[in-house]
Amino acid sequence: MTDLQTEPREAELHSVRAHLRERSAATRARRQLTSKVMVVLCWIAILCAAVPLLMLLFELIDKGWPYVSSWAFYSQLPQQPSITQPNNVGGASNAILGTVAVVAYAVVMAVPVGVVVGVFLAESDSKAANVIRVITQTMVGAPSILMGLFAFYIIVKQLNLGYSALAGAFALAVLMLPVLATATEIAVRGVPPTYREAGLALGAKPSTTSLRIVLPAAVSGIVTGSILAISRAVGETAPVLLVIGGAYSMNWRPTDPVSMIPVQIYQDASSAYPAQQNQVWGLALLLVAVVFVLSLFARIWAGRKQKERR
Amino acid sequence: MSTEPTLSIAAGLEDQEIEDPRLGPTAMSLKDVAVAFNGRTAVRDVTFDVPANKVTALIGPSGSGKTTLLRSLNRLHDLTKGAKVTGEITLGDVDIYRGGIPTTELRSRIGMVFQRPNPFPTMTIYENVVSGLRFNGVKKKAILDEAAEQSLRAAALWDEVHDRLKAHGSSLSGGQQQRLCIARALAVEPEVLLMDEPTSALDPISTQAIEALMVDLKKRVTIIIVTHNMQQAARTSDLTAFLLMAEDRAGVQIEVNPTLKLFSNPDDQRTLDYIQGRFG
Repeated sequence: MTDLQTEPREAELHSVRAHLRERSAATRARRQLTSKVMVVLCWIAILCAAVPLLMLLFELIDKGWPYVSSWAFYSQLPQQPSITQPNNVGGASNAILGTVAVVAYAVVMAVPVGVVVGVFLAESDSKAANVIRVITQTMVGAPSILMGLFAFYIIVKQLNLGYSALAGAFALAVLMLPVLATATEIAVRGVPPTYREAGLALGAKPSTTSLRIVLPAAVSGIVTGSILAISRAVGETAPVLLVIGGAYSMNWRPTDPVSMIPVQIYQDASSAYPAQQNQVWGLALLLVAVVFVLSLFARIWAGRKQKERR
Repeated sequence: MSTEPTLSIAAGLEDQEIEDPRLGPTAMSLKDVAVAFNGRTAVRDVTFDVPANKVTALIGPSGSGKTTLLRSLNRLHDLTKGAKVTGEITLGDVDIYRGGIPTTELRSRIGMVFQRPNPFPTMTIYENVVSGLRFNGVKKKAILDEAAEQSLRAAALWDEVHDRLKAHGSSLSGGQQQRLCIARALAVEPEVLLMDEPTSALDPISTQAIEALMVDLKKRVTIIIVTHNMQQAARTSDLTAFLLMAEDRAGVQIEVNPTLKLFSNPDDQRTLDYIQGRFG
């Protein structure tokens, strides 16, 4: 009885298996071909993206290196070339100093506010938090020239401080603020709730718990976010163009008019003298290098902190 | 059949006179306690006294509300939106929900150890132990040093870490981290220590160390432990409360009895079924 039932079934199964094997061989061949085609397509796409980028980088290094590698570029003020001395362009010391100063002021203004807002967004589920979150997200996407106009109106006109480093820093701070707040919110939310509970269970006040347990645990994320916000601000032209004044001297005080690398690039590129136009490549290379180093630093920092945590 | 001993620890004891730990002084008292989240009851009808300087175990299958009940005892549900605790819970003679006691004071009198070791990640071993004191405003180094050594000794960790107090808490093994968390909780000198499945993330040897520690710590504090490990409850506790999920999916108290009695001759058939492994 059992034999009668199992035998034909086994034969049937056998043929089914053979059929599947045959089919699977065909399928495998087809899939391998598709896979190869896809790999080729991927490489073409990568080349499309990478070639222009590499060309740009090559051009940048080729033309910018002579400037970046000379000490005069960092130590001298820009000179006005003339018909008798068309190659007398000097360096970019004022723009470098101005960039460092303005970004430093912007960090001092933006980081404390951004961190406080971020912590508030992470810890509060009130209506106010939701409203602020929407505003923050909108600000991330706002065109950066808007911050320039804002700084121009508030600092230069209303507060009557004139074209100054402070006005540029204000514009950059407003630009960095939403990035910082969002990074802080994500970092604070990423701290496992068990640490907060442990703090409260020891009798700590909620504010103490936030400040002394949750915030320190979120610091690596906040620092990474800050570095990325800075590297974005360093290269911004539009918001500062309107308000910093573009001075050709070693100014750095908050109320001084200053120059910055992106603004200097903008001004030099429209010069009548080819030597001045060429110096733009040096400035651009320096800017790219600074942003690259900052991003690299942020990545290394984040990776190291993550390892420490484990 | 119903009198068959179920665990070796309780074997042969069913005829003995079992002393009820509740006859002694009471540390905490629960009356008609229920916890609901957004109107949905998670645990209800819990009424029993927690004897002072004893270990009380809360046992029951998953979903029976053990942890939910435990977290109501130091008002940790206050953090959860929509959580509501009803009934009466007293610590000594203070009603912890309506007695006007600040939650910060309450929580420094009722410490807690969590399911997974959670030493503060940015702090050293020393800073972890004294963190509770620092949060409560203690600044004198002599006091902190004294408390750190005393608490680490009480948590049986001092010998292993006294020469590396400045190392990060996360550099310790899982079992050591959990004892660090116990030391941290002890440093603020609580009257009651809540333990939420404190060994569920640990290996057997670390588990054994913590169980031995609990029995030792009874002299200092009243311990309430949630465990899904019945052997652990039998080994360490004096009083056991058995909870079970009712038809409305809320945990209810089935039986509270001296541990030896509950594991040898329980009053309720459902308790017997559970400890004999018929469900859960």
